[in-house]
Amino acid sequence: MLGLLQGFSELFPISSLGHSVILPRLLGWDIHQNDSYFITFLVATHLATALVLLGFFWRDWVRIVRGLGRSLREREIAPEDTDAKLGWLLVVGTIPAGILGLLLEHKLRSVFASAQSAAFFLMINGLILFAAEALRRRAPQPEHGDPDARIARRVGWREAAAVGAAQATALVPGISRSGVTMAGGLVVGLSNEDAARFAFLLATPIIGAAAALKLPELFGSQGNGVRGPALVAAVCSAVTAYLSVRFLMRFFETNRLTPFAAYCLAAGLACTLYFAT
Amino acid sequence: MDRGRLLVWLAVIVGIALIVLAVVYWVEPAKSLPSWIPGHEAGSNHHHVKHGIAAFLLGAACLVFAWFRSAGPRPRQLAS
Repeated sequence: MLGLLQGFSELFPISSLGHSVILPRLLGWDIHQNDSYFITFLVATHLATALVLLGFFWRDWVRIVRGLGRSLREREIAPEDTDAKLGWLLVVGTIPAGILGLLLEHKLRSVFASAQSAAFFLMINGLILFAAEALRRRAPQPEHGDPDARIARRVGWREAAAVGAAQATALVPGISRSGVTMAGGLVVGLSNEDAARFAFLLATPIIGAAAALKLPELFGSQGNGVRGPALVAAVCSAVTAYLSVRFLMRFFETNRLTPFAAYCLAAGLACTLYFAT
Repeated sequence: MDRGRLLVWLAVIVGIALIVLAVVYWVEPAKSLPSWIPGHEAGSNHHHVKHGIAAFLLGAACLVFAWFRSAGPRPRQLAS
């Protein structure tokens, strides 16, 4: 169940961490997000999600990495080299998110570990998504051509850093990483489709690195007795993550963040009221 | 020295310093870190691996910035 939920909610802009804190409390499961076996589960499912994202965008990543290498060799990011520009935008977006994540993860997760707090921040996540749609710089319109070229043209270095740094807020259960990144993409002028693409590309190194950093816990003594269920969870997570990314890439060709904003606001409000009574 | 070159040298120095700091974080336990470095804890044998990774990433970013910034003008820029 947790694997299915994780894979599904990691990529939808509805906060996987928030759901994995709220759902056990609603269903009366004796799970706490700082328990070692739960962290082992998360490592396995995050790794599966990162691998799915890497596989889904494999050809893009090959182009992007080649572009990065080309620009380093030539010591410039040529204006027409979309792959290099996109690659460096992803690097610029990943560094602040990575550093803030490394330094703040433990503190934020321990401060905001409760289901009440997750429900409250789920509401905030809904408001962020609504605000992003309202604040977007231009009316959404169908665009043609290479999406990477559009992203490279519209997103600047400062904007990439800001969108990347905003990902760190997703360490608070209830705030969605993909939601915040997509919202940032919309605010800087991307279409929903391009914002989703940028968010998924930006998510891959962060989710993968976060999982890789905790792999010793999965394969160490902490993972004893949990690896079997964690493997099942990882497979379930991979399946739902693949279906989610396929669905979302098509969904955002014509749709907006509004349904997810409404869901987060309504679910967050309902859970806040429920936990308060 | 013009402002561009100064920036390059500054990025190189900061980049190398941060990478050295990263190695210090990985090698030395928290109790052995100088007291002015974030993460120093008297009596703690904990290694601040994540602090080290953060310092290394920042250092590498500074060096990459210096690499691009110190490149000479491109042929097409010279032509224009």
